[in-house]
Amino acid sequence: MPRFRAERRDCPAELSPEATIITPPSGWHILDVGALWQHRELLLKLAWRDVKVRYKQTIVGAAWAIIQPFVTMVVFSVFFGRFANMPSEGVPYPIFSYAGLLPWTFFSEAMKRASDSLVGNASLVSKVYFPRVVLPMASVLSRLVDFAVAFTVLLAMMAYFHVPITWRILWVPVFIALAFLGALGTGLWLSAINVRFRDIKYALPFIIQLWMFATPVIYPVTLLPERWQILLSLNPMTGVVNGCRWAILGTGAPPTGMFWVSVGVTVLVLVTGLLVFHKMERTFADVV
Amino acid sequence: MAIITIENLGKRYRLGQLDPYRTFRQVAGELLAWPVRSLRGHSEEPEEAEDLKSLQARQTLWALRNASLEVKQGEVVGIIGKNGSGKSTMLKILARITSPTEGSVHFRGRIGSMLEVGTGFHPELTGRENVYLNGAILGMRKREIDTRFDEIAAYSGVERFLDTPVKRYSSGMYVRLAFSVAAHMDSDILLIDEVLSVGDVDFQRKCLRTMHSLPETGKTILFVSHSLWAIRRLCSRVILLDGGRIIADGETEDVIKVYLGEDTQDIAAMGSPTGDAEEALEQ
Repeated sequence: MPRFRAERRDCPAELSPEATIITPPSGWHILDVGALWQHRELLLKLAWRDVKVRYKQTIVGAAWAIIQPFVTMVVFSVFFGRFANMPSEGVPYPIFSYAGLLPWTFFSEAMKRASDSLVGNASLVSKVYFPRVVLPMASVLSRLVDFAVAFTVLLAMMAYFHVPITWRILWVPVFIALAFLGALGTGLWLSAINVRFRDIKYALPFIIQLWMFATPVIYPVTLLPERWQILLSLNPMTGVVNGCRWAILGTGAPPTGMFWVSVGVTVLVLVTGLLVFHKMERTFADVV
Repeated sequence: MAIITIENLGKRYRLGQLDPYRTFRQVAGELLAWPVRSLRGHSEEPEEAEDLKSLQARQTLWALRNASLEVKQGEVVGIIGKNGSGKSTMLKILARITSPTEGSVHFRGRIGSMLEVGTGFHPELTGRENVYLNGAILGMRKREIDTRFDEIAAYSGVERFLDTPVKRYSSGMYVRLAFSVAAHMDSDILLIDEVLSVGDVDFQRKCLRTMHSLPETGKTILFVSHSLWAIRRLCSRVILLDGGRIIADGETEDVIKVYLGEDTQDIAAMGSPTGDAEEALEQ
């Protein structure tokens, strides 16, 4: 991998003898942290671009980030909460489901955007050099802004339902960081595969729907028998959603065994995602 | 001291790679059909019964092969050749957009590439926002763009419209702004792939004047162009590529003669394809 040190030179005569080398790529790499750090401004700029463009020319603007989880919560509350009488661990169903929908929406939107990041930016990939991992990363980062906006609604709901804010709420960033890594890992896998096999784009909405049912968003984990609960913990988002509910509402158990299984799976997906992404990176410009 | 050293550079494409994307369905279909096809036997003509090696040769394409080159600091090198001779491939490898199949490149300093104007411009963002975005994409730091912003704006000639979304710009305005950002890139090595001849005559003149002043800045430039006129004006040394190989490397006029083959006088009399701006600049 090329090693590059950025030095500002005002006069070409002062070039350092340090050379950058380009050779055929070989082996497996996890991450070139140096190159990524070099391009940190680009990463932030691309995330900023995603956020800005999303809200331009819309009357409602940033409110779209609120409407999606909120309206979903209302629909769930009517059908699952009231008609189906879904148990909700002692708190009103609306806030129960919203506390789950918040991290879930972040994760699913981030994953969706990240999976299309390479193909959607094909012109950049084929014309400019930068570590390609910047693209899915920027997509996931931009959804954090949406999350922050939707979080304000959660605070309003907590006031409405008289749910006290405790020190546990400081754990929310930790769980969101886990969701971030999960979305990034999945996004890396999907975006790399999507370059070669465009089916991913069409399969994804379906996958996300199924994934949501495999996550305890609509229902509490305790609804399922023990064996199934263990199976559910293989889903990285289970740990996040359970954790967020615990941190926000105080329901359920604090992060324990099930949570660590989720963490383990997330790390596995992220590491393998990075490996696969970097292996396939060399052909992106040729194939995209 | 050499600023760029290229040794035995090669880039091979498998013809499957040049196909548009494939779907799972196609791959699955091929996999399923393979046993059926091999059982039935290939219904090919006798000439097509080839061994594995020639089959592989038929399915791969060496866009660049055994290219070796040394460029000294401050040289302005032109790269010419027929379409498909590997010029853009070489630039792409140098710009690290695609990786080589064999060989190596060593270079010192920063490489800036102008392979296309307006990369990354988003129609919904304003001119100002796009300058920062495009600058970041080209590798400029924010403070660099801040310092140069006024110059970029003045050079482009669209200062009044910087706060309008670029989708409202005319194509000329768009291209002027894009070129302006690229022209203010600070790098030790510049790779230019035919971004000239954009905009109206006035702007083309401006572009050409900027291009002509580049050799004086001491930057090393690799310039791919079909315009022999521009090559003659800018380059002291020219490389000729054909079929992915460097077949000539030397003084501008000598290499151009090789490129044009015989009857160079008739062709010179015909003038260059991008006639207008270049003639205007001559006057």
